[in-house]
Amino acid sequence: MSLRVFVCEACGRAVFPRRLLCPDCGGTEWRREPVDGGVLEAGTERDGVRVGAVRTPLGPLVITRIESESRPGTDVPLGEDGDVPVSRAT
Amino acid sequence: MVEPSDAVIVGAAESPYSRHPPEGVTTESLLADAFVRVLASSGISREEVDGLGVASFTLAPDRAIDLAWKLGIRPRWLMDDGNGGASGIQLLQHAMRAIDAGDATTIVLLSGDHFDSAAFRVLVDTYNRTTAQYLAGIPTGGPNVLFAMLTRQQMDTHGLEREDYGRLVVAQRRWAGLNPGAVYRAPLTLEEYLAAPVVAEPLHRLDCVPVVSGADALVVTAAGQGGVGIRALRGLHNHDGQEGDGLRTGIAELARGLWEDAGAGPEDVDIVSVYDDYPAMALAQLADLGFASDGDLRAFLRRRIEEERLPVNTSGGQLSVGQAGAAGGMIGLVESVAQLLGQAGERQVEDARLAVVTGYGMVLYRYGACANAVVLERR
Repeated sequence: MSLRVFVCEACGRAVFPRRLLCPDCGGTEWRREPVDGGVLEAGTERDGVRVGAVRTPLGPLVITRIESESRPGTDVPLGEDGDVPVSRAT
Repeated sequence: MVEPSDAVIVGAAESPYSRHPPEGVTTESLLADAFVRVLASSGISREEVDGLGVASFTLAPDRAIDLAWKLGIRPRWLMDDGNGGASGIQLLQHAMRAIDAGDATTIVLLSGDHFDSAAFRVLVDTYNRTTAQYLAGIPTGGPNVLFAMLTRQQMDTHGLEREDYGRLVVAQRRWAGLNPGAVYRAPLTLEEYLAAPVVAEPLHRLDCVPVVSGADALVVTAAGQGGVGIRALRGLHNHDGQEGDGLRTGIAELARGLWEDAGAGPEDVDIVSVYDDYPAMALAQLADLGFASDGDLRAFLRRRIEEERLPVNTSGGQLSVGQAGAAGGMIGLVESVAQLLGQAGERQVEDARLAVVTGYGMVLYRYGACANAVVLERR
């Protein structure tokens, strides 16, 4: 299971979360493109829940639950739990 | 150059903040109390008020017009603003132009909120659609985790330790000790700051604003005798589409024009009020305004804040006075106006003449998107 980011049909710009208009070209049509993971840029923990910011290869930085002990600077997987991003333990 | 305004702020008041307000207190009762207080402090009668602007998260489903009716005023100019930490300066930006244009002559601006813990949980999980859809389910449980990550990044970039942030928090608490309206007034040592329980590393309890109930108010009128003038005011919102590092706010981009309009610079101001939802963001705004021109944030905190006691957030700021929802966007204005009018009591900064105030906030996804700033002067 991967995380599906939003890619502008007109110009290929990737965003997450979805915008109404593409920030670059103003396009309104989006396709979903899967990313399997990215680089964990930052992380913290609150009440036992680990949260991280993961840089996807398509560009967007995604806020996600981290279910592993991964350290910042390492590659982590990305998936979805409904609309919510999650990085599960491998 | 942005056209200057002839409007002046002639009164500032606060309905006392409280962590656990007595039974029967509501958002509208707090706003009404701030309204009554600000009229009393400025010597203006209710009949003279012909403009009303309101910022509140918890006034809904009521709006400014409901409040106008219940306060018994007949405004010619009416405005609701929902932009949180930027709402105070946002309301002022509109009010001063309404005064200049003659749409109104006497405008009261109100902001405030009353939360119980359930209402606060709902607010943080449904802050906007993006939060409800993409963050609440993680669960992030509010913005602390986001600003924890930003703080860590600022620490790594600038070689800051927790104790560096502590210098600002301790300094603000020292000011709060002189403010009878502050929720937390007891002197705070750096050791106590460091020993506070962890919230989300590297943030500990004293890095996070206490949620309180309260309200703030200002009166803006056409120029007359005295008051506080608005030398310059600029806003820049969504400056980077939430795709930057989150530590350079829109203030960095508006600062040059702001200071040019004001004909002054950071070195000229006597009072500084920055939006202090977290110490890292207060520091980011100070840097964006040009207060650490050499980029050495660590030396700035040690020298200017700790040793030289630069008057930053002289009420104690939200970190010590508390965050009363949208009133957090007006607390800096109210304190700066009080200082410039010579009404700041024990914490009065001698001969305060010029102040800079910032607004910041509205976390869209990763960090605050709204930013504005104003330079105020004693007339």
